[in-house]
Order: sequence, then structure tokens, then C-alpha cells
Amino acid sequence: MHNSLEKTGIPTTAEVDAAFPPAERLAKGPVAVIECFQRIPCNPCATSCPRGAILPFADINDIPEINYEACNGCTLCLTKCPGLAIMVVDMTWKDKSGLDRAVIKLPYEFRPLPVVGDDVVALDRAGNFVAMARVVSVLLNHSMNKVPIVSIAVDKQLVPIVRSIRVDVRQRAVVCRCNDLDEAEISAYITGGTTSIEELKRITRLGMGPCQGRNCVPIALGMLSRALGLPIDELEPATYRPSVKSIALGDLAKYDDRGDGLP
Amino acid sequence: MIHTDLLICGAGPAGLCAAIEAGAAGADVLVLERGHAPGGQLVKQTHMFFGSEKQYASYRGFDISDILVAQMSEMPNIRLICDATVLAAYDDGVFAAEIAGKYEKIRPRATVVATGASEKPLLFPGNDLPGVYGAGAVQTLMNQYGIRPAGRVVMLGAGNIGLIVSYQLLQAGVDVLVVCDGAPKIGGYLVHASKLARMGVPIMTSHSVKRAEGEGKVEKVTLWELDKNWQGIAGTEKIFAADTLCVAVGLSPLSELLWQAGCEMLYVPALGGYVPYRDAQLSTSIPGIFVAGDVAGVEEASSAMVTGRLAGLAAAGFLGLDIIALEAKKEDCLAQLHSLRHGHGGKILDGIQQALLDTNNKGDEHA
Amino acid sequence: MKNTADYVIIGGGISGVTIGYFLMKYGAKNVVILERDYLAAGATGRCGAGIRQQWGTELNCLMAKFSCEFFENAKDELEIGDGIDIEFHQGGYLLLISTERELAQTKKNIALQNSLGIASRLLGTSEINEIAPALSTEGILAGAFHERDGHLNPFHTTQAFARAFVRLGGIIHTNTNVSRVTTDRGRVTGVDTNRGHIATDCVINAAGGYSQQVAAMAGVSLPLYSVRHNILVTEAVERALNPVIMSFSLNFYCQQVPHGSFIMGRTCENQPRDLRVTADSAFPVAMAKTITRAMPPLKKLRMLRQWAGLYNMSPDKCPIYSAAPGLAGFYTAAGYSGHGFMLAPATGQSMAELILGHAPTLPWPRLGLSRFEKGDLILEPSVV
Repeated sequence: MHNSLEKTGIPTTAEVDAAFPPAERLAKGPVAVIECFQRIPCNPCATSCPRGAILPFADINDIPEINYEACNGCTLCLTKCPGLAIMVVDMTWKDKSGLDRAVIKLPYEFRPLPVVGDDVVALDRAGNFVAMARVVSVLLNHSMNKVPIVSIAVDKQLVPIVRSIRVDVRQRAVVCRCNDLDEAEISAYITGGTTSIEELKRITRLGMGPCQGRNCVPIALGMLSRALGLPIDELEPATYRPSVKSIALGDLAKYDDRGDGLP
Repeated sequence: MIHTDLLICGAGPAGLCAAIEAGAAGADVLVLERGHAPGGQLVKQTHMFFGSEKQYASYRGFDISDILVAQMSEMPNIRLICDATVLAAYDDGVFAAEIAGKYEKIRPRATVVATGASEKPLLFPGNDLPGVYGAGAVQTLMNQYGIRPAGRVVMLGAGNIGLIVSYQLLQAGVDVLVVCDGAPKIGGYLVHASKLARMGVPIMTSHSVKRAEGEGKVEKVTLWELDKNWQGIAGTEKIFAADTLCVAVGLSPLSELLWQAGCEMLYVPALGGYVPYRDAQLSTSIPGIFVAGDVAGVEEASSAMVTGRLAGLAAAGFLGLDIIALEAKKEDCLAQLHSLRHGHGGKILDGIQQALLDTNNKGDEHA
Repeated sequence: MKNTADYVIIGGGISGVTIGYFLMKYGAKNVVILERDYLAAGATGRCGAGIRQQWGTELNCLMAKFSCEFFENAKDELEIGDGIDIEFHQGGYLLLISTERELAQTKKNIALQNSLGIASRLLGTSEINEIAPALSTEGILAGAFHERDGHLNPFHTTQAFARAFVRLGGIIHTNTNVSRVTTDRGRVTGVDTNRGHIATDCVINAAGGYSQQVAAMAGVSLPLYSVRHNILVTEAVERALNPVIMSFSLNFYCQQVPHGSFIMGRTCENQPRDLRVTADSAFPVAMAKTITRAMPPLKKLRMLRQWAGLYNMSPDKCPIYSAAPGLAGFYTAAGYSGHGFMLAPATGQSMAELILGHAPTLPWPRLGLSRFEKGDLILEPSVV
């Protein structure tokens, strides 16, 4: 027992196997995998599931049980579990590259976020390198508890092994300098359903800092254009408001409508 | 509240030429310039200009600026104020400006917006590291303030700005390691490219920046080759030990005032982004608001001067001023523009055509 | 898009989503919100989003109190996790009093408010200095303060209601423009949209500044007009102002949002009533003169941006929650006269009760359209 979960925080292979849905369920489509092995007072997984697939707890200390037929792998519970103990596995993901890969959807609370298309390091439950994995989706929106969900494609054989990723610290690609927003964050919002520049502005304050959108709006329009597959001229343009440059309230207050102000 | 016949926003080549034409016609003109001195981008253009005699071909940009400013200062009806930023254009015809630290409002009878363009930003990892510059900023540091801005430069962009600034960097004693461009062909004039090539600067087309890296500043720039869909090809990375990455990927019109005033706008990639619908004489969809220079569509400084003259003439006409041979002067400007725009494979001409109010049904609808 | 619905709400601002939420909460099914643009694109996303319980009529006090308490519990009520922060900053509302008449009215208001369980109180100038050190008390006689008032992020609050609505089974269609409300023999039969027809026998007009236009589509005339209201925002700085400051006689309100920027507005003269939301050339100076006199340290703060939204004005500056006489199945929630955001939870609950035939929790029957015909207006002293 010297390598037990209780000593290391690493579940054993047997424990992980027990947490996985049966192979025939995996073959049917995306499904949640819950690795919650200890009785603790916590139930958001059960209360958050809109389909009742995580069975109601009799006691708040209950260990979650899934009705695999009811679960559709929607990932809502991933963003609710304070222990980040849940992931979604999709063995039926259509791999356009011709490789035999599945998708694992992981809650990922670190920054910077990866960007779709990145190759990140896939780690096992002990944090060891397993393989490189391709990021296929990064999702973030208001309902997600500030828990982005990163989906990675890995070889099907590795599905029981991979449980985390490491995004090598890289230089950020900055979209909005005034409000310090980078490409990963903006693209996660776009993927999450924010698809107009004005809405993006209201959510993130992009375009409304001291530069008034001069730097960030062209970049953000380009990102929206690529994400939506529409040319920029078919997107709604941003609204420009006074002032082109910021001005002190005290200087505004000194203005006198009666004079001719030429110096 | 300042009252004037004609407000000109910007004293670059377009604004200066507009002021000269409208001033010669007798208009009372107020020119507001954001910078400390007039001339706009001309003052940092140390190279000789192309074009014809009418656009001061073979003169250097800063000399042209001096000539225009001298012409203007002979006219007492033109008032130029520097350190004056136009802040806002309202739909009641009022403009607001910060003039030498003071907030002012202006009610002009007509306006020429000649605000120019700003450098396009580019998204890549490391784009906020110190050492990543716009080419215009590098040019300002070198040619206006006499500062050697870099030691070893990677230039991104082989359009005219990228090529010319690279050449000026060489003149300033800076190492230009490479000029690259995502496009498969050099976008700028080939004679500019050849000037670099013969000084040993390699030009790599179909290449762009993958990332810039360094501890607190640029130390390393990685380029890679792009495929025909402009996607980077793994395995083609080339690393340059540079301290500066200079970005010259084009300009976009500084059109905020036009948006605020309610001008109908149109996205035309060939003209650099959103530009106003305008008629052949540069009147926007809002009567009395004219445009000239890069804000009407990014072109060369020579075209900016001619559009400035045309807008100045049109504004004077709008003000009801009597101009000798007005139509002949306008025709001359239009003919000059036509020949200047012909050399770019027709791209600019097509773009202008799209943005024309009176030849375009879409434009009429918008107006 | 499904072509039938039990209830169609026109407008995805704060009122539309709260009405949708309460309808679902009370057991309604097949509720659809149609939004022309995106959520909170209209007046909601442009407003200061302050909330005060300091009113001069029992009706408004009760509605604002209900709304404020709702926002206090919104996290549980709407089951919003940490992902949405509605940024409810309860720094209080400080109403400045600068005339004897205002003082006399305020004393009456406070007595009324206290009798309804709203713990507002009168402050002397030294207490005002403590609560808002940046304020100049020159010319100020006193202040009325209630510490549970405050402000929210209107965009995020709308998102929170929308998510709760969707979680309960509601449907939201954005980028969906209603062009016509179809009727037959005095009954609503559906709506035409740019994405097709939806058959329904209940339409709820929550179109904010465009309410009278939407009503006209159904042949209903509402005694409303929309007027432009201007607002500006400064650069973000460290927290320097805790309460919302407001003055009727000095004509301004001002607050510092959690992001750090100051948001301020005032009622300007000669504003267009043609649905324009362009910027006003006179507003920045008028606002700056007012605010720098009231709060001198703000002189150095820089304005970044000014914008405008629509106040939907009713004859007595109080909302209309009403069925339409002569057209069964057509309901209107409009005419907030600048207070639609702060009253939104009350709007949602009241409209749901009205539509579903429930007994009133709040005195909404007083807010019907019939009050204008009868000349029985609500006399609210605490509006601008």
C-alpha cells in the first residue's frame, strides 16, 4: 500500500479502471469520467447535471455515481467540480487526420491557455510525460465558472493514461494592450459563442481603453473573420466614440463656450 | 467656439496641399496638427520621391514638407496650429480638439479630414516584448530624433515601408539581418528591394514571424516558411539573434473621426481597411466633410498630395468660393491620380472604384 | 427555429431576460426571447446600472427593495457560479441635498423608507466627508444615504439571468428581428421575424427604447417616447469612491465601477427623441463642469469615451406593466424612464404574475395603462 492514493494523491490503475465507463458505453459517444474516490461533503456534480445523469446524493458525502446511459458528455459538471475530478472522454471523435485518436476534454485552470492547433505535453496522473497532444478546442464563456475546457486529441491507447496537460510557457500574443488581453483568451471567448465585435467589447472591454481600439479592433476583427469564415466586410464593424485621445475632466471643465479659443 | 470656413484635420502632405488650394481660393482655413511640427510622415522621409514633377519627384520627403509649409505660410488666411489633436466629430457639425493642452470646440463650414493612417498591428507570440517596433516608429526615432534605434534587426514586411526603412536602418549603421514577407512576392518597388539586396540583405518571401523571444526584451526571432494558405510549415524555422523586430505589415486609415461624424464606411482591403464612401472629388456621404490622403485609402505620399489638392479645391467650391479654372484644376488632379494609381497592378484603382459614391449602387443606398 | 411558442418576449435586455426567467420559474413552458442584436445590446448595456431603494413612493420603494434583495441573493437564486461576476458593489447611494426644499422632501422620504424596512438615514456634511472624501461639501446641506444600495455590471447581470433562463428550458434567439406582430380578431396570433414566423398567443413587449415601435407593430399605441441619455467613462484608477453619488438639484450621478473607471451621467437639454444614440457635443463639458465642482480631485482624471442610450419615458416617469386594451395576449413592460435596470427583478416577477394570473406580490396592478386614461398618475418626487 506504499503507493496508495492516500500517500501520493495518485490513484492506482485499478482505481482508475473502476472509474471508467464500460467499453461499450465509451464506444457510443462522449461520456464523463469521475475520479472522486473519497467521501467528502460536496455535491455540485450531482446538482449541476441537467439530465440527472449523476445520481442524486442521499448524503452530501456520497461518492458520485453516473448513469452512463443518461450522460451525454456535455461537460457542464467539469466546470462545477471543485476537485477538477471530472473529464469527458470521446472515443467516437472523428479524426480527420486519419490517425486513430480520441478526444479528452479537461478542465484547465492555468494561464496562458493553449490555442487550438497547439501541440501540448500530455501528462499522466503522476505528472509524467506521456506524449504530445494536439489541442482541438479551447472553450470559455460566462457559464463556465472561469474554468476553461481544453480538448486534446490523443492516441486511443493513451486515453486511460492521460489526465492532464502542460502548456509550455510561451510568449503571449497580445491583442489588447490597454486591458491586457491575449490571443488565447479572446479566441476562447469567440469559440464560446461571442461572435460580434461589439459583444466582445462589452464582455472584455477590448477596444475601450486609452487606445480606443486602434490596435486591438483590427486584430480582433481578423480573429472573428477567421473563426466565422466570413470576410471582415461581412462582420458588423465596431462603434467609435469620442474621444480619439483621452482628455482630463479638468481641461473639459475649463472650456468656455463664449470665447474664441485660438491661442 | 471657433468658427472657420474650413477645418483641416492633419498637416501631413494631404492636409498641407488641401490648405494651400483652399487658401489660394480665399478660404479662411484652420489646420490642426497633432505633432509638434507640420509635414506628417514627410519629415521622416529621407529618401527621394518617385512620381512626376508635379508631385516633387526626386525631392526628398522632408524637403517637400519645407516647400509646402513655405507656400502655406505666405497665405495669411491659413492658420496652422501644432500640438492640436482633433478629438471628436459630432453629428451636429461640431468638432472638439485639444489645442496646446486646452479643450476647444470648432464649428467649421467645411472640413477636410486628412488624419493619415496608423501601422497595422500583428498577432504573434511575443508581440508585446520591448524591441518589437512598428517600422514607422523606428523611422521616427532615427530620422526625426536622431536615435539609433536598434543593433540587429529583423524586418517583417517587404512593402515599400519595410524596404525603405530597412535601407534607412543600413544608412544609420544598423545590421538588417533579413527582410521577410508572408506574400510570395515582394510588395514594394523592386528598385528599393535591389538597393537592399546589393548591400547583402537577404529578402525571404513566403516567410513570416513565428515568434519573438527573450528575457524582458527581444533576443531571438524565429521565422518560418508559409504555405500557400499563409500557414506556417513546421520544420522550416529559421532563428535570428536579433534585438529588434520591426513590423511593417501595412497601414490602416485613421478613420475614427469619420465614424463619429456618421460617414458611410466600407471595408476595402486594397485601401488598408475601413474607408469612407466618397465621390470623385472626395466628398463623403456627409455634406461638407471631405477626405484626403491615407484616411481615404492608403497610398503613396505623392497620391496623398494630389488628393489633398483635389479635396481643397472641392471644399472651396462647396464654400461657394470663386476659383479661376476650378474645373481644369480638378481635372488635372484626377489625371495625376489616374497615372499614379496605374502602376500598382490596378489594385488601388479597383479599391477606389468600390468606394465611389456616385458610381456604386451600394454607395447610393448607404448615402 | 421552432415555429410555435407559448410566450414570445421581444427584447433581450435586462427586462426581457428577467421576465423570461420568472415565467420559467413559475412553471411556464415554451418561452422564447427574441433579440434583434445580442443580449444587452440596447439601453441595458449602455446604462450606469445603479440601484437605490431611496424613493419617495411606497410603490417604488417596495419594487426597488425587492430588486436589491434579489441581486443580493442572485448567486444562489440564479445559480451563477464564479464564472459570472455580476459585480454588485454595495457601496451605498449618497443623495446630495442642496436646497431646503430637497431637505424637507428627503426627510419625508426617509420616514417612508424606514417604515418599509429600508434603513436609509440623513447624513451631516462631516459624515458625508467620511463616506466620500473626494466630495466637496460646499453648498451641500446634508445627504441621504442607504448602504445597501449600489451598482452592478449590466452586461454580466443580463448574462446571469439569460443563463438561468436557458437552464430552466427557455430559448433565446439573438440576431432575430421582429417585423410584425400578427393578430386576428383582437387576439395576438404570432410574430414575423427575419428568421420566419412564430405562432403564439402571447407576446411580451420588453423592447426598452423601442417599446412604442414594437407596440405599433401590433396596432397598440403606448404613451411613451425615447430620449437620448448621455454618459461617459474615465480611465481606470484605484478605488477612490465607494458609494454612488447622486444629486437631483445639481443634476448628476457618478460611480466608480470595480474595474476602476468612473462612470457618470446627467440629464441634458435638447436631446433628440428620434432613437439616435450618437454622442452629444455639449455633454462632456457640461458633465466635467458639474463633476469637478462636486468632486475636485476628479479634475486630473481623463475621460476615455462618451456614449449614449435611450431612456424610455412614461408620462409619470414610472414603469408600465400592462396588458393592452383591445388586444388579448399582448403585454408591455416599458417606460422605466431611466430606472429599468434597477427595477428589473421586480419587472420580471410582476410581469410573470400578471401574465400567469397570479396574485400580486408587489403592487404592480397600480402600473397598468389605465392609470393614464383615468388621470391617476403616480406622483414620485424622487425622479430626475
